[in-house]
Amino acid sequence: MSKLITKFLLPYVALLGFIDPVHAEGIVTDLSKHEVAIRSNFTGADILVFGAIERAGDSASTGPADVVIEVTGPETTETVRRKDKVSGIWMNYEATRFERVPGFYAVLSSRPLENIAPASLLKVEQLGFNNISFGKAWSSVLGGEENLRTPDEVAPFSTAILRSRAKDKLYVADSNGVVFMGDTLFRASIPLPASVPVGLYTVKVYLLRDGHVVDAISSPLLIAKSGVERVIYRFAYGQPFLYGIVAVLLAIFAGWTAALIFREH
Amino acid sequence: MQIYLPIAELSINIFLLLGLGGAVGFLSGMFGVGGGFLLTPLLIFSGIPPAVAVGTQANQTVASSISGALAHWRQGTVDLKMGLVLLVGGAVGSFLGIYVFGLLKSVGQVDLLISLSYVLFLGVIGGLMLIESVRAIIAERRGGGATARRSNHHNWVHRLPFKMRFRKSRLYISAIPPLLLGTLVGMLVAIMGVGGGFIMVPAMIYMLRMPTNVVIGTSLFQIIFVTGLVTVLHSVQNQAVDVLLALLLLTGGVIGAQFGARAGEKLRGEHLRLLLGLLVLLVGARLGYDLIATPDDMFSLSGGLG
Repeated sequence: MSKLITKFLLPYVALLGFIDPVHAEGIVTDLSKHEVAIRSNFTGADILVFGAIERAGDSASTGPADVVIEVTGPETTETVRRKDKVSGIWMNYEATRFERVPGFYAVLSSRPLENIAPASLLKVEQLGFNNISFGKAWSSVLGGEENLRTPDEVAPFSTAILRSRAKDKLYVADSNGVVFMGDTLFRASIPLPASVPVGLYTVKVYLLRDGHVVDAISSPLLIAKSGVERVIYRFAYGQPFLYGIVAVLLAIFAGWTAALIFREH
Repeated sequence: MQIYLPIAELSINIFLLLGLGGAVGFLSGMFGVGGGFLLTPLLIFSGIPPAVAVGTQANQTVASSISGALAHWRQGTVDLKMGLVLLVGGAVGSFLGIYVFGLLKSVGQVDLLISLSYVLFLGVIGGLMLIESVRAIIAERRGGGATARRSNHHNWVHRLPFKMRFRKSRLYISAIPPLLLGTLVGMLVAIMGVGGGFIMVPAMIYMLRMPTNVVIGTSLFQIIFVTGLVTVLHSVQNQAVDVLLALLLLTGGVIGAQFGARAGEKLRGEHLRLLLGLLVLLVGARLGYDLIATPDDMFSLSGGLG
């Protein structure tokens, strides 16, 4: 499917970009693959994003072009807990629940974001670690009542998400991640770690010039468990009771087989 | 070689898992114990989420107990009636344990519950084993030879109502103590994922005064059903049973147990118990240290439902 798009549709899209007077300048991009299958030997993957800048008649445009690639994974509710010492033991004390936390986030650019666009634009487009929105934040103590908090009040909790996800390579920022080949061709490699969450991702490619967004294109990317992993996962969540029964039967069978094998010797 | 575990949702070295299963299998073959109380903490140390470690361990215990239970069944060393009474208690305890587990999971304290339970039980069991084995060794050095004290006096167990006759155990006692014992062990299975033989066996001998020849068989009989039930309950409530992880641990476990059993024959009983006691204390101490040492990161993330 994606191959079809590349082969037949892209030239037309490019042509449209070329002659459209409103978009004096545009980009065409595609991904090396639109689907990633997680199997038992999955240790991570790299997705290649490539594309070209399509220029209007006067090729001598002002200033350098910048490409920023933003990859956002599926959003979930995430609870961050802060430990406190209670009678000598460290236990989870205060908790903050964020409503929309992307499971994966990567922002790649050809030079540091702050040099590409003003802070106000980065904030509006939610580009960069400091500008990701985690949705509404609710705080509670030891499972008690939840209270709505402002982003500033829960800043230590949201930075904890950034820190933890960055450590697990689930949040990535790379200001050298987009490589230009000549003036118009560019490519970037998005590193997906082994623990990458499954779901529908959005890959958004921005073309900026002089601190303004000139063009932006979104492409979907599906990450799904596949093979035995998919079967086990779906079974466990879809039919939990039956899954439990099968797990027990499997254990009985395995234990019994093992006993038979070793009795032979 | 890495393998992706579908329920634990992480990629882990397959040889580490086989090795862990094998090492614990070796120990359980050598000492004649289930090994779940060592394997669960080791899984937690290697990064498996505690809830998945517990649920999967219950599943793995079904497999590792089945051959022993079958052997005892064929030899006729299972007190079926006693086993069923314990099982009724065990079922009640499993549901209670799962309820507490779910309750604490919803407020983010389930890891603490698991750790505290392990520290408590590993500490007590390890300590008792250590003291007992050291005493036995000292008594033997003095030449006296330890005499097993087993009084024939009736204890409080014999004064309770609802008496039942357990022919195989040659007992006529109240059904309340075995029911309560079953309930306690059922709770432990649900919360810790272990078979609970380390509580069940001593309690059957010293509290219920069952003859030692039917103790192991009866304990294994009810362990299979209770761990089976707990596996299903953990699947339904927490989706925390990873069959792939269980199979890998089991594979390592059965192989390790064969070598362990041979190694165990060369060591003396009290020395074995001394070693095991030290090992149990060591694992408990490590878990306990993690509870009181200042964590590297005060913040922790728990996924959507956590």
